[in-house]
Amino acid sequence: MDSSKLGDIETKVGGTITTNRNSTVLSIKPENLREVCKLVASELPDFYHLTTITGVDEGVDITLYYHFWHSKDFLSLKTTVPKDKPTIASVSDILPSSLLYEAELQDMLGIVFEGNPMKGRKLLLPDSYPAEAPPPLRKEADPEKIRKMMELE
Amino acid sequence: MSDRSPTEPTDEHTEASAGLIQYSPENMVPFGPVHPALKEPEYFKLVLEGERIVEVIPRIGYAHRGIERAAQDRAWIKNVYLFERICGICSFAHSLAYVQAVEKILQFEIPKRARYIRVIVAELERIHSHMLWLGLVGYWTGFDTLFMWIWRDREHVLDLVEAITGNRIHKSYSTISGVRRDLPDNIAEPLRREMKYLDERARFYKELIGSEETLIARTKGIGRINSEVARKLCPVGPLLRCTGISSDIRIDDPYAAYDEIIPQIKTSSEGDIASLLALRTEEVMESCRLVNEAMDKIPSGPVKLTAPRSVPKGEAIFHIEAPRGELFYFVRSPGGTVPERVKIRTPTMANILTATAMLKGQTLADVPVVLTGMDPCFGCMDRVSIVDVDKSLEWSVRGEELRQLGIKYYNNKGRKMS
Repeated sequence: MDSSKLGDIETKVGGTITTNRNSTVLSIKPENLREVCKLVASELPDFYHLTTITGVDEGVDITLYYHFWHSKDFLSLKTTVPKDKPTIASVSDILPSSLLYEAELQDMLGIVFEGNPMKGRKLLLPDSYPAEAPPPLRKEADPEKIRKMMELE
Repeated sequence: MSDRSPTEPTDEHTEASAGLIQYSPENMVPFGPVHPALKEPEYFKLVLEGERIVEVIPRIGYAHRGIERAAQDRAWIKNVYLFERICGICSFAHSLAYVQAVEKILQFEIPKRARYIRVIVAELERIHSHMLWLGLVGYWTGFDTLFMWIWRDREHVLDLVEAITGNRIHKSYSTISGVRRDLPDNIAEPLRREMKYLDERARFYKELIGSEETLIARTKGIGRINSEVARKLCPVGPLLRCTGISSDIRIDDPYAAYDEIIPQIKTSSEGDIASLLALRTEEVMESCRLVNEAMDKIPSGPVKLTAPRSVPKGEAIFHIEAPRGELFYFVRSPGGTVPERVKIRTPTMANILTATAMLKGQTLADVPVVLTGMDPCFGCMDRVSIVDVDKSLEWSVRGEELRQLGIKYYNNKGRKMS
């Protein structure tokens, strides 16, 4: 990976880089996400392949990883959104392939992607998934309770 | 419609995929959802202008089983068997990606013999998966003889898989730190014999695909995409390679023993279903060669280590080249006996957007062949409901009827099908 260009991006947006073997993680602020995605597209054009977006419920926050891959290297943009206001700007206009991954996270972790055309629509969960139930991959989601809620409907 | 090529993604593309652009219901044909027993049933709303498809709106999740959530309650080793159940075709690929991610957290150096055995079984699975798919394309295009031939030949691979792992489909062969048992003593001879046979058959099928006129008529130039589209929509596996982009994780980011048994990458620049057919037959030949090479070079020694029940704190990402393309696993351990989070991105998930781009501009009769052409993890498109507003009629057609429609459509165009 061209580490000098990545370093430029790091200084431009004030992120931090951690590298573990062939996996590089660039931690950024959520408000910088769109800017960094544009910079990756222009400065590191080899990393055009967005493998997926991973979301992890950390208790208070939700961590998002945008995994880009090229050759032997993974570049993951890491950012966090608070659980009580899980809103982040969508990158589906910059990276068209992120459309379904964002929709998946919207279902599974209840993250709101501002600007994603699928905002508010279900992709993986049934349309009858109870609105008052927590998204299924949140820590507080209890499968038994959700099952009961859905049977009542 | 503008004068743009129908497969070119536009700004409206994503909006239409999301259902934001409203089309009058007269033109809407719901396609699916498919049988819930399959791994990834999908539902496509097709917007037609006459026979032509102008827009495709996907909706997935009909067999969502919450496996990522279920994994958070199960021990590390139990999850190997859980993840195998994600897919009935590439079950070994799923367990392989997962165990290697866990081994990465554990920082395990697994025995060399186990790495070679993993290559052998993974390549046998690739042969079986590609042949299954080739047969289905034969079936959907009305070429039943091809379907029968290929599925008969596929039995040879399944017999080998059964001899090595004990099971035909859900192999339960991987384990964290290696493979569960060694190769049987007398496997080398049948393995080489069958590889020779399958290689010959693959060559025969390649010639057949390139010369059989009915098959060419149904696949040549159908579902065409180019590398520009592929760079935007990020498909994986053969769907990416058929646009001329040379990308294969076995070569780019080697795992198991692929750093020593190096596959030859195959690409094509046509980007249509016909090139996918040719590409996959070539991949079958290449897999036969890899199995032979692995058998030549395989060292002796143990096939597994003793894995601890508990995995230290850490996270790992791992991706492998499954038969359909890049299969991605993200595993995070909190330091304990169960994982905190496992994220899986299957190849078909990455290919859906590209499939919608491939469908645009095709006719309704081409839908089965394009959808099977992308090699999704479903073979059963039973139950499509078609709305005909002129006649104020709604009826459901089974996959078989749609297949007949495809054959009839091309017969009427003067191309005789079986």
